[in-house]
Amino acid sequence: MNNISQQYKNLTGRKLSFIILLVTVLFGVALIALSQGASSLGVKDSFAALFQQTGLAHAIVWKLRLPRIVMAIIVGCGLGLAGTVFQAILRNPLASPYTLGIASGAGFGAVMVIVFGGGIYSEYLIAGNAFFFALLSSFLILGIARLKGFTTETMILAGIAIMFLFSSLSSFFQYMGTMEQVHEIVFWFFGSLSKVGWKEISIAAVMILLPCPVLLKWSWDFNLLSAGDESAKALGVNVEKVRMLGIVLASLITAGAICFTGVIGFIGLVSPHITRMIIGGDHRFLLPASALVGAVLVLTADTLGRTLWAPQVIPIGIVTSFIGVPFFLYLLMKKRREYW
Amino acid sequence: MRKYGIKICALILLSSLLILAGGLVARATAGESIRIQDATGRFVEVRLPVKKLVVLTSDALEVIRALKAEDLVVGINTGIAKEPLFWPGLKDKPAVGSWRGPNYELIVELNPDIVIGYARHPGQDMEKKLVPLGITVIRLDFYKMRSMVKEIEILGRILGKEQEARQLICWYQEKLNLVERESMPLRNRPDVYVESYSKYHTAGPGSGGHEMCVLAGGHNIASNFSIPYPEITPEWVLAKNPQVIIKATAFGNCYAMIDPDPLKSVRDKIMACPAWDNIRAVRDGKVYVLSSDIWTGPRAIIGISYMAKWFHPEVFNFLDPEKLHREYLEKFQGIKYQGVYVYP
Amino acid sequence: MLSINGLDFRYKNISVLKDVGIELHKGEVLSIVGPNGAGKTTLLKCIIGIVKQDKGTILIDGRDASGMKRLNLAKCISYAPQASPSRFPISVFDAVLMGRRPYIVWKPSQKDLEVVADVLRSMDLEDVALRDFDQLSGGQKQKVLLARVFAQETDYLLLDEPTSNLDLRHQMEVMEMISGMVKKKGMAAILAMHDLNLASRFSDTIVMLNAGKIFCTGEPSQVMTVENIRSVYGVEATINESNGHPHIVPVRPVREYRLSDN
Repeated sequence: MNNISQQYKNLTGRKLSFIILLVTVLFGVALIALSQGASSLGVKDSFAALFQQTGLAHAIVWKLRLPRIVMAIIVGCGLGLAGTVFQAILRNPLASPYTLGIASGAGFGAVMVIVFGGGIYSEYLIAGNAFFFALLSSFLILGIARLKGFTTETMILAGIAIMFLFSSLSSFFQYMGTMEQVHEIVFWFFGSLSKVGWKEISIAAVMILLPCPVLLKWSWDFNLLSAGDESAKALGVNVEKVRMLGIVLASLITAGAICFTGVIGFIGLVSPHITRMIIGGDHRFLLPASALVGAVLVLTADTLGRTLWAPQVIPIGIVTSFIGVPFFLYLLMKKRREYW
Repeated sequence: MRKYGIKICALILLSSLLILAGGLVARATAGESIRIQDATGRFVEVRLPVKKLVVLTSDALEVIRALKAEDLVVGINTGIAKEPLFWPGLKDKPAVGSWRGPNYELIVELNPDIVIGYARHPGQDMEKKLVPLGITVIRLDFYKMRSMVKEIEILGRILGKEQEARQLICWYQEKLNLVERESMPLRNRPDVYVESYSKYHTAGPGSGGHEMCVLAGGHNIASNFSIPYPEITPEWVLAKNPQVIIKATAFGNCYAMIDPDPLKSVRDKIMACPAWDNIRAVRDGKVYVLSSDIWTGPRAIIGISYMAKWFHPEVFNFLDPEKLHREYLEKFQGIKYQGVYVYP
Repeated sequence: MLSINGLDFRYKNISVLKDVGIELHKGEVLSIVGPNGAGKTTLLKCIIGIVKQDKGTILIDGRDASGMKRLNLAKCISYAPQASPSRFPISVFDAVLMGRRPYIVWKPSQKDLEVVADVLRSMDLEDVALRDFDQLSGGQKQKVLLARVFAQETDYLLLDEPTSNLDLRHQMEVMEMISGMVKKKGMAAILAMHDLNLASRFSDTIVMLNAGKIFCTGEPSQVMTVENIRSVYGVEATINESNGHPHIVPVRPVREYRLSDN
C-alpha cells in the first residue's frame, strides 16, 4: 500500500466527513428553526405537527415555518454554489453574485416585474426576468474580461460598475413608482424570506438544483481552470465552453436564489472562502460543501433574525452581514495557510 | 469705441446692482418677518408676504388648497401631475421632481419664496442648496394626527390665511372629537392588525396607522413595538389572532377609480395568505382595505371614521364617512366627490 | 514519432511562424532555442492545440493532431506552460493529480493515485505532497508542474522554459529529471530553452529559431557555432568544449546587428 496515496485518501475522507458534518449541522439548525416561532406552539408540538394532516399546528408548521426554512436552505445553497462557480471560472477570489453585479442585474429584473406587475404568472415572470438580466450582466462582465483580460481588478471594477448601473435603474423605478411600489422595492433590498410560498420555492428549487449535476460533473474542469487556461486546455478542458456555460448556469442559480427573497448579500462571497479554508480547493468537495455552508449561514441568519427581536423581524440581509462578517474575519485572522 | 463699451458695461452693471440692492432693502423693510417652528422642531424666519410656493408633498398641497391658497403654488412634485382629475387647478404647473428627490435647479429657476417638504424628505441637502439662494425651506408633515392642527395653523400664518386655517381646524377637530368622544372610553377594543403598504410590515407606535387605529377604538396588536414600520412574521399575526385586519394600500389614483377591483384583489391576497384562514378577522371577513388618500393628511379623519365603524359598528352607526368625505372635498377642496377608497 | 510540417501561424497579420518543420523521435530531447520573440512558445502552443496554425500539419504517430479531440490529444501530448499561476489554491497532490484528468471521470482510480504517488516520490516531493501549492518555493513549484506532466503519462512532453527562475541546483535537477524520464520511459520531449548551455548539455537535437523560421537544426555541436550565435542572437561568443558538449561564453553584443522585426 502506497503511503502518500493512503494519506491522500485519508484527507479525502476528512473532506467527506466535513460534508456529512455540514448536513448534520444544517439538519440540526433546521429542527431548531422549526421549533421557533411567535405562536405558543412548543418544541414537541412543532415536531408532532410535522406528521399531522390538519389543524392549526399543521398549518403553522407546514404553511409558515417549513416554507421559510426550505427557502432559506435553497437560497443559501444557491448563493454558495454561484459564488464558488464564479470564483472558479473567473479565477478570481473576489468574484461573487454581488461583487460582479450579477445579483443586481437579477434584482433589477425582479423589481421590474414587481413594479409593472405580472398578473397571474407573476412568479414565473419575476424568475424569468431576473434570469435574463443576470445573464445580461454576466455577459457584460465576460465581454469586458475578454477585451481587457481576466485580471481580478478589471472584473471587480466592471462588476461594481454594473452593480451601480442596475442599482440606479432600480432606484429609477422607485422614483417612478407609486408609494406602494416604493415600499415594496425598499424592503426588497433588505431581503425577506417571509413572502415565499411553496410555489415560489419550487420555481427557485428548479432554477438552483437543475444546474447542479452539470456543475458537479465539471468539478475537475473547475480545478484545472485554477491551473491557468493554457494548462487546462492542454489537459483536455474545453475552456471556452466551461466558462460560457458555467456563467450561464451560475446566473440561473443567482436569479433563482434572489428573485423571490431580495438582497441577501455576502453569502455568495464568503461561503466558498470559508469552505476553502477548511477543506481546500478541490471542487468535487468545495461545490457541495460551499452550498451547505451557504445554507447553514442563511438559515441561521433568518432564524436569528426572526427570534432575537421577536416579534419584530430583523431583515435577513442585515443579519447575514452581522454574523457573516465577524465569522469570516475570524477565519481570515486565524487561518494557517494562504488561500486566495 | 472699445473704451466706451467698457464704460457703458460698467455703468449698466453698477446701476443694476443699485436697483437690485434697492429692491432687497425695499422688500426687507416693507415685509414683516415671522418666526415659526416647523416639523423638525427648528425655528425658521419667514419673510411676509409669501407670494410663490413650491410644494413637494401632496399632503401639504391638500391643506394649501383647503386654505384657498392654491394660486400661490408655482411648482409641484411629479406625482401630482399624474392625478389631473384630483388636481385640476395644479396639473399644468411645472413639476420639480419627486417628494424625496426634487431637482433643485428647477426649484431655483422658479424662484419661490418658500419650499415645503416633509420633515425627513428630502434630506438636509435641500437647505444647503436653497437657503444660500434666499429660498426659505419649511418642513411640515401633515400626516401625523398629533401635529396636524399646529401645522395647519403655521401654514395659515405663513400664507396670511388665518381665517381659512381656523375653519379647517374647526371642521377637523369637530369630526375628530365626534369619534374620540365615543372611542376613548371604550373598553372592549378589538385586536387589530394594521398592515402598512408592504406585505408583512406592520404599523407600530410612531406611525400614523397606529395612531388612527387607537383613535378609532381599536387595539393595535403591535402597540408594544419599538419601531414604526417593522417586518413581522405571518406566524406572529396568526398567534395574535386579530379580530380585524386593516390593510393600507397606496395605488395613488383612487380619485379616478370607478371599479373597486384593485382594492378587492389586495383584500383577496390578504385573505389568501398561507394559514391565515385560521385568523378570526379572515374567518369573519373583517379584512378591510383602506387607500392612502384617507390614511394621511387632513383626510385621515375620514379613514378613522371608516375604521371606527368597522371596529364598533353599533357605537358608530351615526357616522357617515362617505358623507364626511364628500363634504370635505366639496367644501375645502372645491372638487366633486368621486372615487373608491375602501373595500369592502 | 511527432512530425511537424510546413507550419505557418499568423497573429493579427504578423507572421509568427513560417514553414516550421520538426521531427521528433521517441527517446529524444529536442530543444528549441532562439532570441525573445522568435516564436518558441507559439510553436509549442500550436503543437498542443491552444492556438490553431494557419497552415501545415502536426502528425502524432501518424495521426493528424488537428482532427483529435482535446481530451484524446491530452493522452498523447502533455504541456507545461512557462508561468505557473500566481494563485493556485490546491494541494500539491491535487495539482499533480490534475495530470491524470484525461483518464478520470469523477473519482480517481487506485491506479491514478499510485501514479501520482510514484511521480511524487521519484521527484522527492513526498514531504510536501499534502501541502498547499502556494506555499512552495519557486523551484518546488516548477517541479510540481513537471510532476503533473509526468503523471499525465504521455509519449510526448512539451515544456516551455522548464528552468526559468530556478537556482543552479534546481536547474540541474529538473533537466536531469526530464532527460532521465525520457530515456527511461521512451518518451520524447520538446523544450523551449533560453539557456544555451543547458540546452546543449541535455538535448539530442537543437532547433534554432529566428523570427519564426528555423535557422538551423542539428546536434548541439553542429548548431552552437560562433557564426550561428552571432547572426541569430547578435552576440559575439566563444565556444569551448566541456565533457563533449559545446559550452558557449558570450563576449559582447555585435555592433552592426539589427534586430529582425517580428
